[in-house]
Amino acid sequence: MELTSILQGIISLVLILGLSPLFVGLVNKQKAIFTGRIGASLLQPYYELMKLIKKETINATSSSFISAVTPMINFIAVVIAAAMLPISFAHPLISFEGDIILFAYMLGLARFFQVLAAMDIGSSFEGMGAAREATFAVFAEPIFFFTVGSIAFISGFTSIYDIYHSIRLDNLSFVVFIIVCSISVFILAVTECSRMPVDDPNTHLELTMIHEVMILDNSGIDLFLYQYSSYIKLFIYVILEASFFYPFAVQSYTLGIIIFLVVIFILSAALAAVETITSRFKMKNIPHYLLFATAIGILNLLIYTFTR
Amino acid sequence: MDTLFYSLLLQLSSIAAGIFFTEKKKSSAASHILLLAGLITGFIAALTALINSDFTLKDIQMFGISNNLFRFDALGLYFLCIIQLVAIPTTIYSYSYLKHYIEKGKSVRSNLVFYAVLLVSTQLVVVANHAIFFLVCWEVMSTSAYLGMNFEKGKKEVQTGSFYYLVMSHVVVFLLYIFFFLLHNQTNSWLFSDFHLLSGTGDLFIVLYALSLIAFGMKAGFMPFHFWLPRAHPIAPTVFSAFLSGIIIKTGIYGILRTFQFLNPAPEWLGWLVLAVGMISAVYGVWYALAQHDIKSLLAYHSVENIGIIGIGIGIGFIGSAYHSIPIQILGFGGALLHTLNHAIFKSLLFVGSGVIYQNLGTRNIEQMGGLVHYGKYFVVLFLIGSIAISGIPPFNGFISEFIIYNGFFTTAKELENYYPLLMLISAVGLAFVGGLAVACFTKINSIMFLGKERKEVKHFKISFYEYLSLGIFALLCIVIGFYPQPFIGVVNKVLIDGFVPAAPSSSLLNINWQLLSIIFITVIAGIILIYLWKKSIQKKYGRRISTAWGCGYEGLNPRMQYTASSYADELNEISKSVLGYHKKVIAQNDIFPAKGSFESHSDDLVDKKILLPVFKSFSEFIARIKFLSYTDIRYYIAFILIIITIYSLIAFLWS
Repeated sequence: MELTSILQGIISLVLILGLSPLFVGLVNKQKAIFTGRIGASLLQPYYELMKLIKKETINATSSSFISAVTPMINFIAVVIAAAMLPISFAHPLISFEGDIILFAYMLGLARFFQVLAAMDIGSSFEGMGAAREATFAVFAEPIFFFTVGSIAFISGFTSIYDIYHSIRLDNLSFVVFIIVCSISVFILAVTECSRMPVDDPNTHLELTMIHEVMILDNSGIDLFLYQYSSYIKLFIYVILEASFFYPFAVQSYTLGIIIFLVVIFILSAALAAVETITSRFKMKNIPHYLLFATAIGILNLLIYTFTR
Repeated sequence: MDTLFYSLLLQLSSIAAGIFFTEKKKSSAASHILLLAGLITGFIAALTALINSDFTLKDIQMFGISNNLFRFDALGLYFLCIIQLVAIPTTIYSYSYLKHYIEKGKSVRSNLVFYAVLLVSTQLVVVANHAIFFLVCWEVMSTSAYLGMNFEKGKKEVQTGSFYYLVMSHVVVFLLYIFFFLLHNQTNSWLFSDFHLLSGTGDLFIVLYALSLIAFGMKAGFMPFHFWLPRAHPIAPTVFSAFLSGIIIKTGIYGILRTFQFLNPAPEWLGWLVLAVGMISAVYGVWYALAQHDIKSLLAYHSVENIGIIGIGIGIGFIGSAYHSIPIQILGFGGALLHTLNHAIFKSLLFVGSGVIYQNLGTRNIEQMGGLVHYGKYFVVLFLIGSIAISGIPPFNGFISEFIIYNGFFTTAKELENYYPLLMLISAVGLAFVGGLAVACFTKINSIMFLGKERKEVKHFKISFYEYLSLGIFALLCIVIGFYPQPFIGVVNKVLIDGFVPAAPSSSLLNINWQLLSIIFITVIAGIILIYLWKKSIQKKYGRRISTAWGCGYEGLNPRMQYTASSYADELNEISKSVLGYHKKVIAQNDIFPAKGSFESHSDDLVDKKILLPVFKSFSEFIARIKFLSYTDIRYYIAFILIIITIYSLIAFLWS
């Protein structure tokens, strides 16, 4: 790897880490506007993160070293996953044959410890959240493979960068395929990042939460790491979504960046709209919702295979 | 290979030490030291032979003469290395395990003897070259495992469980006899090195494969034949269940791979069959595991899952061989071989861990555990390493072998094109689904057993030095293979080039960017350390304290209010409850003043309950019905014999 591509990778990673709170601010701002409020500043998530660092850390009485190490492992795993994603045509920092598997499994590592840390508290609230997270993750995993993974199997590339850049728009059935894939990825993003129809990030009742309840008993620097990594994770899925549209840029850096920004804006509006007009599903309906996304993926793939 | 012979002698001499020392403690120590010495010398000899020798030139010989009983080819040596490598820490643990029984005044002589016989016979199985010798070793291995299992023979469940195992072993041996006789008929030789049939042999080829896959698959525990694992493992002494799950079921994998060497190339549909069976074993193995409360039967079902993953690798290899594609074969068989080693390591770790817990708490039910992390922090760390590795999560060894299998999927899709990308994608999704379920399952057992508050009072939780040593060696192996897989990959590649794809050496296994993977994993560790230092300094500045957990203002929280294993897994179990035989029993009174209620949940094995037991039952009913033929008068029997002889003679007469 030459120096420029490493530099590109580092800049991409810094951008992802730097902009991810802004995206959350953007979503919240639009949500406020949709509901007729003025809303907090776009930079509010940054202020909140800064505030969290300065707070005292409180650990529950029955918690162990798991509670102490998990925020760090969670954060690092998410950052490593973020380092595999391309922004525009920049080479990501980590890119090798088969990195799509490492990407999925790094997020798996984060989830493994997140669930353990929730159970570490020894409270039913956290246990409930952990059980839900583990259950829904089982159904969310196949969606990733049926979307991004299916392009990998069709194109023969196994690195996320190559997979996205193998997308060509000259074949109509492939275009339809990509569009349906992007819908599935949106559903996946909503699930994995605990957004609206699956989980309500702003709920006030412990029994109805998934992600928030798992970090209920964390504060200070631990909560900072959890919140920041959940922001990054949301941004990761946004980039997975935005990357579908790079082919429109026809190998031009600036056009790629413009597309990136436009897609991000559209997605934040979509998230805000969904969160304004829908309410959270019943917990027992969430697997159906996820299986629906999987079914779309399978159907899409079958249609593509036979109309090619 | 003379050293190997002496090492086996050394191991056998441990039997003598076990028998002749009258004092129990001394006899146990002496025989374990002899076993360990034998195993270590044997391991070094086998490993140097595996690494240094160039198998293409000639077979490695014992005592300079070429004898037909043994053959040290790469595949055999690879399995020999796995056996010895895993047996060393297991033996260390065995010493500490038996010490508990010696302190209680129980005789451990039988355990010592059968364990040594089991070790030696298993090592002989994988280097045997003569079919009859192989069968003898196989039989000794099965029988000594059965006898060792019966350590606590007073218990009813021990008798039934070990009987299941005995019956299974004999069905396997019966099928293997037919298998080898058929092979002998075709090749006029009893030697493995001479067995080689081409796929043009027609029906016999398929019959042989079917026999081998059923027999060895039963030993390995592939899905419809997995029924004996969850019965036999929980009741065996921990040393035996660790060895059974780590090693003995791998001899089934060894057998399947040997069969492939005899009969290749495999037809393509066979590859798909093995792949499908592997996938079903993997998915339902882990799903059944999720529904278990008994730690050992949970781990036994996890063996089914991992054997399934190995089967997926073998299936890919078979498909590759049908298309004469070397990269596909290398990745498929390579993934299977490395996963065999990996599973042997982390499954033994987990079984030894479960044994430590059982001896301290006296129960195998995870619903009665909890909060053990406050008693043995380092023990939990070691068990956690095994759990992460078995879930296939980076940066430990389970990820490496699953990564190779994923690469096998990708390569198959790329090389064969057509409708293969679709099929391979579905397989990849299946493996990812298995991974998700494994995460759910291992977060369940780790969190219920170790985290939170203790559900039942823990009287003492002591872990001896030898237990730590044994677990530590296993955990270290998990870490080393995870962070620095190159040498292990190199060995696997060598085995493949020698035994499976002798044509052009391909480097598709070595070409995976292992170096970058190691760098990433080291970055993860370095990053965690850096953040830790930062976090410490922040906490110093702004403070850290311990406080009670949030309970919505309710003060009277008690350990029984924690989330349980049943409630954790309930949602997933409900989804496939018809297959899992998952059922719940709730006794509750919803009056104004509720009385004492109860709840239980169970999972019945489908094959065991719905297929095997009814078949056996109807068979015994049939036997009962023809019982009227058994008379006390000897003249009837003589009449029967005469009738039978007449029928036989008539057949013989008409046949010619």
